[in-house]
Amino acid sequence: MIAVVEALIAFVLRGWTGLAVVLAVVIATAVVARIGRAMLPFVLATIPLIASILLINTFLYPGATDTIVRVGPIAPTWTGLEFAVQAALRVVAFALSVAVLGLTTRPDDLVSDLERRGLGRRAGFVISATLRTVPRVIQRAREITDAQRARGLDTEGGIVRRARGIVPLAGPLIFGALNDVEEQTMALEARGFSAPVRRTVLRTFPDSPGQSALRWVLLGVLVLVVVLSVTGRLGFLP
Amino acid sequence: MSLELRDVRYRYAGTRQPALDGVTLTLEPGRVLGIVGANGAGKSTLCLVAAGLAPATIGGRLDGEVLIDGIATASARPHELAQRCGILFQNPAAQLSGTSPTVWEEVAFGPRNLGLALDEVIARVEAALGALALAGIADREPDHLSGGQAQLVALAGVLAMQPAYLVLDEPTSQLDPHGTELVASALADLSRANGAGILVAEHKTDLLQRLSHDVAALVDGSVVAHAGADQLLTDRRLDGWDVEPPSSVRIARAARDAGAAVPELTP
Amino acid sequence: MSWFSRQFTTRVIALIPVAIAINIVLGYTVQTVLKLPIYLDSIGTILVGVLAGPIAGAVTGAATNLIWQYAPGIGGGTIGPFAITAAVIGFLAGIWGYLGVFRSRPATGTRLWLAALVGVAIIVLLASRIYGNPAYTDPDIGGYPDWVFTAALVITVVAALAVAGFTLLRRDAAGAWVAVAGAVTGIAAAIVSAPIAAYVFGGVTGSGTDVLVAALRVGGADVFQASLGQGLFSDPIDKTITTFIVFIVLGALSRRVVARFPLGERLVTPDESDR
Repeated sequence: MIAVVEALIAFVLRGWTGLAVVLAVVIATAVVARIGRAMLPFVLATIPLIASILLINTFLYPGATDTIVRVGPIAPTWTGLEFAVQAALRVVAFALSVAVLGLTTRPDDLVSDLERRGLGRRAGFVISATLRTVPRVIQRAREITDAQRARGLDTEGGIVRRARGIVPLAGPLIFGALNDVEEQTMALEARGFSAPVRRTVLRTFPDSPGQSALRWVLLGVLVLVVVLSVTGRLGFLP
Repeated sequence: MSLELRDVRYRYAGTRQPALDGVTLTLEPGRVLGIVGANGAGKSTLCLVAAGLAPATIGGRLDGEVLIDGIATASARPHELAQRCGILFQNPAAQLSGTSPTVWEEVAFGPRNLGLALDEVIARVEAALGALALAGIADREPDHLSGGQAQLVALAGVLAMQPAYLVLDEPTSQLDPHGTELVASALADLSRANGAGILVAEHKTDLLQRLSHDVAALVDGSVVAHAGADQLLTDRRLDGWDVEPPSSVRIARAARDAGAAVPELTP
Repeated sequence: MSWFSRQFTTRVIALIPVAIAINIVLGYTVQTVLKLPIYLDSIGTILVGVLAGPIAGAVTGAATNLIWQYAPGIGGGTIGPFAITAAVIGFLAGIWGYLGVFRSRPATGTRLWLAALVGVAIIVLLASRIYGNPAYTDPDIGGYPDWVFTAALVITVVAALAVAGFTLLRRDAAGAWVAVAGAVTGIAAAIVSAPIAAYVFGGVTGSGTDVLVAALRVGGADVFQASLGQGLFSDPIDKTITTFIVFIVLGALSRRVVARFPLGERLVTPDESDR
């Protein structure tokens, strides 16, 4: 819950203050949950994006005139740099929030809990099944591309060659995945999937009044921040 | 109390040709009925119709009557049918819900969907696992099981619905020999212990010889013969129907043709 | 069951995870592994929309982006907020499904040629937006004019030939409708994505299309215009290709299976039968 709220705040707030607060909270949470080191891969994954943001915005921010240095036609600007760093940090904050969410909650537990609170078995099934199907399809895709590569498919090379590579992958992948859907449907029905009752709950997760209150407070803060930001009342923050 | 098909004609949605044409069969509790027939003769369709999935889940047009303990499948809801007649398909992977972290939870999937009380769910799961001797793998991840084990878990999931009848559509056809043996012996034990009426559609007539009391043969959607297992499985007409007789029968015939004196198998 | 709920039959529920998986895996492969300048992450979304309805399609699209964002392993990046776009794509696909756009319309002679011409006309119309925009074509304004112009030209010709050939070879007038549906979806997607890309990400999304955004901004466009410009270049092409792929896939699925989906009846022409 914390992670989701922060992620949203990070993006809604312009300027530095919001960022600083969010980063602080994220890092604090990470330390408490002892997942600091595990977050590294998530951060590393954002590097290409950050590089892109920094480069493009520093050098190409339109309308900025406070140049840092002028080397021929290339003129990075302070405004651009400021915007770029903000945007980059925003991305990092977002990524870290996502990391916190991903590393502290087991998807099965999350879905179970949501169902207990009334999510509905169909939504729960879609989420759980997707989380299991995606790795399976990835695996299948790897097998297909390996087989294709053995037959001379290119994953490097010019655009045309790469484009031609999609068809032998997409075809088998799509039809292979769709194949089982009919049988899955019948199997689900045969196990009472469409019964109009609430599913039996297997286990409940400990939840204190404190946690519940915290969730409401966070929600309130989020709404407040969004409203104030949109209506321009937070202009006084740097 | 029985599972009855009375003069059943069935056509899949979006097709013109009927897949089943005038089938009349009765499945009694405690008896095992085998179904033989060539590919495309209608074995799978018969399974779907008998279990009520056709037309309740897959649509299509059903003429005639299918009654499970007196209840017409044409007007029942899928989850009601699921509690009266269970069905097992060929592909184990497609039947596991893919949402359960352990075999235990996977088997609990069905009873949970019915909203049963927690003790009832636990009781049913334990019973199903016990009936198939699966208690040892209750904590394993369903994705990491062998074909035969997965098929048994799928079967346990069906048994947990505690149906009075069980339909099996070529349950071993996608399994390796080891898996086939695993499932076959489990089915043999089950048919003796459980009181359910079982309908098995199979290519492997050896399996049917082992399991069934009676056998019916399907050709182009109609039942052309229906008799005790020993009688039908030695019937000479099987070859004409594109059905391979059990190996014991084939060996006996080959030996007889070679001149050895082998007693006839029919009573 | 309400109209809303009727779209989510068990069959549809079983299809959605598979559709999401197809979206994510193909999208990832095309964008990250093959690094092609298209997205190809909406095949599943449109498929569900056409077979099940607008809400189901929208849910598939949104869920794809959200799950992709948070998925361990290939997650991260900037996909999440574009869930809105994906939802719109799925919703539109449901509309096309209701309108029976993807139904086969066998035709011969003049009707067929007319359909092929309409398809080609759509493509040329889309392309003219690019030719007509000086930011793309004028060397003094655009950043990298040469390859953009040539690429657009090549893609236009190839696409026009593909659509025409498809329509003529399969003798199916539906080709034209599919092209229209794809183009409209693409334009809608671009329009919805532009504000997201501009305000949330400052125009940079880490994909191959960023170069185009940069080029447009050098030419003087602000962040929003540049994002819209890039969107109108990539999205219609991507969505038209995707829509055609979905059309082909639907054609290849057995009639029996398609008929069982909520909108399946609209896809099966009355005189079809198999067995």
